[in-house]
Amino acid sequence: MAKKVPGDYEKLKAEGRYQIGADVPTVAFSEIGRRGIRRLDGYEKSSGQAIYTRDVQLPGMLYARVLMSPYARARIQGMNTDKAEALPGVRAVIRYDDGEVRDRMLNGCYFGPEWVCPRLAGWALKPIHPVLGEEAWHEGQPVGAVVAADSEDIANEALRLLEVEWEELPFVLDQEEALKPGAPILRPGADSNLLERPGQVIEQGDVERGFREADTIIEFRVKRNAHLWAGAELPSVLVRWREDSLEMWIHEQQPYHAKMLISEWLKVPMNKITVHSTYQGCSFGGRGNPANNSENGMNILAALLARRTRRPVKLLYDRSEYFFGESADMMVGRFKVGAKRDGTITAVQMKNVFAVYMGTPGIEHFIENTRIPNLSCETLTVDVSKGPAWWCRCEQLPNALCLTLVFDHVAAELGVDPTEVALKNDGYDGRDTTELSKYKREHGFPDRDSLKECIEAGKKAIGWDEKWHPPGTKRLPGGRMHGMAFTWSHEWDDTRGTGSAAVMIENDGTVSIIGEQSDIGVNPWTAYCQIVADELGVRYEDVNIKPFNLDHGFALMSPDGSANLCCNGEVLRKAAQKAKKMLLELAAQRFEGVEAEELDIKDSVIYVKAAPEEQKTIKEAVARAMPMFASAAFWTEPPVIAWAWHTQGIWGTALETGRPRLCRQAHFIEVAVDTDTGEVEVTKVVNVNDVGKAISPETVEGQMYGGTYMGVGRALSEEMVWDEKTGVLLNRNLLDYKYATMLDCGPIETIIKETGMGHGPYGTVGIAEDVATLIPALLGPAVYNAIGAWIDEYPITPDKVLEALGKTWEGK
Amino acid sequence: MKERAISKSEALIKLTVNGQAYERQVEPNWTLYYLLHDKMGLTGVKMFCDRGACGSCTVIMDGRPILSCMTLAIECDGKTIETVEGIAAANHPLIDAYVKHHCMQCGYCTPGFVVTAKALLDRNPNPTEGEVKEALAGNLCRCGTYPQHLKAVLEAAENLRGE
Repeated sequence: MAKKVPGDYEKLKAEGRYQIGADVPTVAFSEIGRRGIRRLDGYEKSSGQAIYTRDVQLPGMLYARVLMSPYARARIQGMNTDKAEALPGVRAVIRYDDGEVRDRMLNGCYFGPEWVCPRLAGWALKPIHPVLGEEAWHEGQPVGAVVAADSEDIANEALRLLEVEWEELPFVLDQEEALKPGAPILRPGADSNLLERPGQVIEQGDVERGFREADTIIEFRVKRNAHLWAGAELPSVLVRWREDSLEMWIHEQQPYHAKMLISEWLKVPMNKITVHSTYQGCSFGGRGNPANNSENGMNILAALLARRTRRPVKLLYDRSEYFFGESADMMVGRFKVGAKRDGTITAVQMKNVFAVYMGTPGIEHFIENTRIPNLSCETLTVDVSKGPAWWCRCEQLPNALCLTLVFDHVAAELGVDPTEVALKNDGYDGRDTTELSKYKREHGFPDRDSLKECIEAGKKAIGWDEKWHPPGTKRLPGGRMHGMAFTWSHEWDDTRGTGSAAVMIENDGTVSIIGEQSDIGVNPWTAYCQIVADELGVRYEDVNIKPFNLDHGFALMSPDGSANLCCNGEVLRKAAQKAKKMLLELAAQRFEGVEAEELDIKDSVIYVKAAPEEQKTIKEAVARAMPMFASAAFWTEPPVIAWAWHTQGIWGTALETGRPRLCRQAHFIEVAVDTDTGEVEVTKVVNVNDVGKAISPETVEGQMYGGTYMGVGRALSEEMVWDEKTGVLLNRNLLDYKYATMLDCGPIETIIKETGMGHGPYGTVGIAEDVATLIPALLGPAVYNAIGAWIDEYPITPDKVLEALGKTWEGK
Repeated sequence: MKERAISKSEALIKLTVNGQAYERQVEPNWTLYYLLHDKMGLTGVKMFCDRGACGSCTVIMDGRPILSCMTLAIECDGKTIETVEGIAAANHPLIDAYVKHHCMQCGYCTPGFVVTAKALLDRNPNPTEGEVKEALAGNLCRCGTYPQHLKAVLEAAENLRGE
């Protein structure tokens, strides 16, 4: 199947507006790539000065809490709110049958034919999307009533005083069970729980031919149980009205979208909405707009309560309520793979059954970074009585799991080193590395074999050649079994996203970046200042960004679209280049007989290129360039301020058409498995990431460390556990939902490769999603290498290890 | 469900927070977290897990790190409490080391780590790697910044010892 060509691509290409090729920096790097830069948010965050949405309070503020369904599927038959309303301190109760919410649906999250289009929203997989309805499609869905009170305690008490007459309805939790005859049909009027999604079948080449050409056929099945974001800061929103204007403090990854959505729902013009996005406790997709009521819905309810009470209202979730929604890899996969004896893969066929899912089907990394000619992927998406599964660092989880398992199963079956299998099958879109090299040469890239470089560095660091062994053959002193594994993939960070910002030279010669951005911890602001510093020729210390306010109109791409630096780096580079031109034009007037083109800037000093001793400070150049001034005693000049906008890629494709992915990532792991207890300990991890160009190397390493810990938790212990009899989630807290602590992973080695072949500015690519997405998959092959048996269900908990070893209670 | 009244019986407590004396009327159901964060504006104590699982609300009480979300304010009469704000105000070397070693991503859990590490260094100025790990093992970081904390705490300990 040819890859889909997005709408405007051919037109843009014909007009010469769409060009691909290596990035050639026009400035020398001084700050970009430098270690030891003091990160911009470091002091505030470590000293407790950083304010998050949850921390904000306003005078007269009320606290709001919303009722959530205690059942997996239920309908409200009746509700008595008298006692709740009579409780002293309760200021408002909005019921599901209130005129303001009755039959009012959530709106969507993306532009579509209807501006913000419900059809295209992540939660649209669910049948009905009321803001506050009477029917719950999953446990934890906001339903029935929302209350505002003088304190959180009183609001909680009011929820307890609601007398709700529930009708429990039949539910189904498992996606394969939901497809069987006799399963309760969850959507009204439907005859099956199968949800329709575009792209259900992806085919490339001819898998049957590929199987015929193979020396061996490998078949296996895997199940990935649900995990979720479990971000640090709990959801909250604070809203106040100022006449007919709305002011909001939100904990969201995409504040501008939030503004669009609430404007549409409340019919408040966007120019009357002020949005503050303070520091954000990490969310990993959990505070992205695909999330259903827990974002857009809670903003709406808080705004309605604030209007009714004429008070500021803060709506809060507690930890147990931030557990509804799952990772996008809640799936059962069945694989059939054909391979030749040397490890060349001839065909991959997969059939994946997902539950309430939006995300990737599992085959895309095979298309984008392998030469495997014959691919087939059938995806079924099934409605179950759980919250929607959506982006969860990141939507590539199924792709990473499927690629890792296919490659490592092939290596295991053939007895070939998995690094060899990777090198044999590297390529793109069914083409081999010869064609990849040709592409690089033709487009001005260095002809470097990224995968080979990553593998060589990683093998050396972990001692692969000395340690690699056949499965189940190496016992460590003390009796535990040693295992190791390798996986790989292409560069991360999808080529998408739109951002805008301005660069302003303040009247004292310092530089401000003007652009809102929702912080989720990837230290982007430091990187932006580094880029602006180098592009302008000023010192890093002279640049600053204050990214909490959306009112000035500029908004940088949020990191949750899998695109931060690639998009925003381009925005800042363009804006800085424009600002520099303006600044030098102004500065030329301060020199005698010198044109702007004869000037340059270094270390925040403007100088004449032909006579570097002739200098002016930036402050001298902009002394009269100011946005406002009160006196008429001297003339003023327009301020030096330039803005830029950039859109990365073309929406609808993961990759710009015709631009293969060139950078590779390689991950190595060692484990020790206790065959008596089933416990798996990760004893060593080596991450090798070709990030193209590391703008902030310490930040890159931070992502490599952090992704590893998140990956280890996801692989070994993070699991949402439902009670089959009642359908409710049993571990809605961070004692029983276990993510990795400091003790749960051995040493992590981080190796950064910089081939300059990324699609972002200066040849960079993203890093923040790769490690956390690939490491979880890697534990399966590592445990296999240790014990000689595959575990086909994630997470790999001790009970499953013991079962794989035949050590079940039944067997005793 | 039986109607439960909200308790009104307040009590006066005296406590020292970051070296300053306070007298506060507290309701018996208030947690120390609530008193510090919501009533005293010390927003460095963070509500993350909301039930004693994560360490983000850690403060030092009479020399020991405790979870302020699991401690009733009314029980803190006469206690001496140190929060991250006090540690930063005293220019403790942990703060600089934390910034230098990028011990934060979103930063929400970072103050809890700083307070826990400060309590460790107060009682053990020369900890081993293992002792640092053990001390910080009760603090959750969803961003996974753990390896950087180890470097920062050991470096801050060195600086404190004047090495």
